[in-house]
Amino acid sequence: MRLEFLAYRNMVSKPMNLVFNLLLLVLSVSLVSFILELSKQVNGQLEKNIAPVDLVIGAKGSPLQLVLSSVLHIDAPTGNIELKEAEKIMQHPFVGSAIPVAYGDNYKGYRIVGTSLNYFDRYNASIDQGRFFDKPFEVVVGSAVSEKLNLTLGDAFFSSHGLVAAGKDVHEEHAFTVVGVLAPTGSVLDKLLISNIESVWKAHAHDDDENEREHHEEKLEITALLVKFKSPLGLVQLPRTINQNTSMQAALPRFEIQRLESFMGAGVKAINSIALAVLLVSGLSILLSLARAVRERRKELALLRTYGVTTKGLFYLVFLEGLSLAVLGYLLGWLLSRLALLFASKQLSSSFGYPLEISGFQEADLYLFGATIFIAFLAICFASSAIFTLNISKTLSDE
Amino acid sequence: MITTKGLWFDYPEGDSFAFPDIALEEKKHLLILGPSGIGKTTLLHLLCGLLPPKSGEIYIDGTDVTALNRKALDLFRGQNIGVIFQHYHYIKSLTVEENLKLRQLFPKGEEDQVRRLALVDRLGLKNVLNHKVGQLSQGQKQRLAIGLGLIHRPKLILADEPTSNLDDENCAAVISLLKEEAELCGSSLTIITHDQRVKELFKNHIVL
Repeated sequence: MRLEFLAYRNMVSKPMNLVFNLLLLVLSVSLVSFILELSKQVNGQLEKNIAPVDLVIGAKGSPLQLVLSSVLHIDAPTGNIELKEAEKIMQHPFVGSAIPVAYGDNYKGYRIVGTSLNYFDRYNASIDQGRFFDKPFEVVVGSAVSEKLNLTLGDAFFSSHGLVAAGKDVHEEHAFTVVGVLAPTGSVLDKLLISNIESVWKAHAHDDDENEREHHEEKLEITALLVKFKSPLGLVQLPRTINQNTSMQAALPRFEIQRLESFMGAGVKAINSIALAVLLVSGLSILLSLARAVRERRKELALLRTYGVTTKGLFYLVFLEGLSLAVLGYLLGWLLSRLALLFASKQLSSSFGYPLEISGFQEADLYLFGATIFIAFLAICFASSAIFTLNISKTLSDE
Repeated sequence: MITTKGLWFDYPEGDSFAFPDIALEEKKHLLILGPSGIGKTTLLHLLCGLLPPKSGEIYIDGTDVTALNRKALDLFRGQNIGVIFQHYHYIKSLTVEENLKLRQLFPKGEEDQVRRLALVDRLGLKNVLNHKVGQLSQGQKQRLAIGLGLIHRPKLILADEPTSNLDDENCAAVISLLKEEAELCGSSLTIITHDQRVKELFKNHIVL
């Protein structure tokens, strides 16, 4: 039983005090850690999904909407563009590869995307079971879709018109057959049903007469073209050329997402500032309660000096108490942030299909730990200043 | 055990005290008598190094305590001196036994359970061993304060007004307890008090 034990006993001798201090600390640490991790993961997700696309070309409208709908698949498309017009862009010397995407149907709320096989390469997606499609109405399903809808190889289903699950207006002429299931990619592909582009065209041709089919194919449409530049010059030239000279619009995903992040950034910043303010308040509360403990226990501290405990030993006693509080508060706060992350992940994956990773100890957490310890250390130093000026003689002779 | 020469102290508020020279041999006891306000507690604090004298010399067991730096003085006091304060001091968050154990552990870092239990038995604190100090009666607190002053077998025991609040019977009992324990430890006992009842119980006395 040395000073460590005494520090522990002092700490638990006022349980309400201890709980209040811990609560403040846990709250601020978990808030900061949670927000940091959440915004990092959301940005990481966005980054992962937009990285394979330098430029997206689609119908005129909001460029952000075009990026959200055609790259991230979370908004309605701006409209369709003619395949012929899009093909002209594909020939442009600055264009490395261009993948057409077309859609308009869903199955139980998950989008069916018609595209080419290059789409899988762009996202480094590989087949887990079965194979890639090679005929119309063969479909490859993302890992999350396969899991959620219990779709396996050989399953057949009818698509519904539109992008949200509606239950009516089912295209019953053509059944889609699952021929492959993708391995998880951690990207938007996990929550898509992917077929070739003819499937989408044919599914929507059901209203037309056989006679009109020929005529219809003249103006085949796609929703968007996902472009990867061959030369960085494309970045400078292509968007302007397309926006000025065609009826289509070109949007740069990275630029649009940055714009979106700057909108959201204000919110993230505000929450972070609040969390940091709470952290400072919790530092202040530790300071006040340690200072009060030192004042209330000054007779005990003076007594310890007569036992032969040095001034340094007394500082160590207060230091231990403050530090244990900070470390305990930090650890509990960190755990709470991960619990919150787990909760948020459940929410996000059920509403957007994006689960969050319940990450371990991150670099940012290390900084937060450093900040917590630093604030606690400042509090300890201020609180224990009275120790160094303690008048033992006077303290012990006062009643 | 104690040798002082020309001891003088003054407080910033204006009180100043000149103390008579003291010479106390090893294992001998001493009573320092004086009315209130004459600087008894000041003298006790000077002797155990809690206050530095403004002038004069203090030797405890041959060591010039005025020459020690703060850390060395803390260690010297912790090892060689046991103080029984007028107002009882103890650690509130610890039990009776833990308080005594803590006193044994500083500054030597070794505890002696046999000694502790025997002392607790003699002090009549055996059945409150695991009570928090706040739950003790005044008499029990005083006996604990005595225990805390000598459990570590100091060479010198300094007691400040140990009998001031006691009736005649208890006064004699506390003095004989202190004497017995001092004999058992082989310590020198110095009591500082205004209590005239104690006078006849000591051969050696100095009047301030």
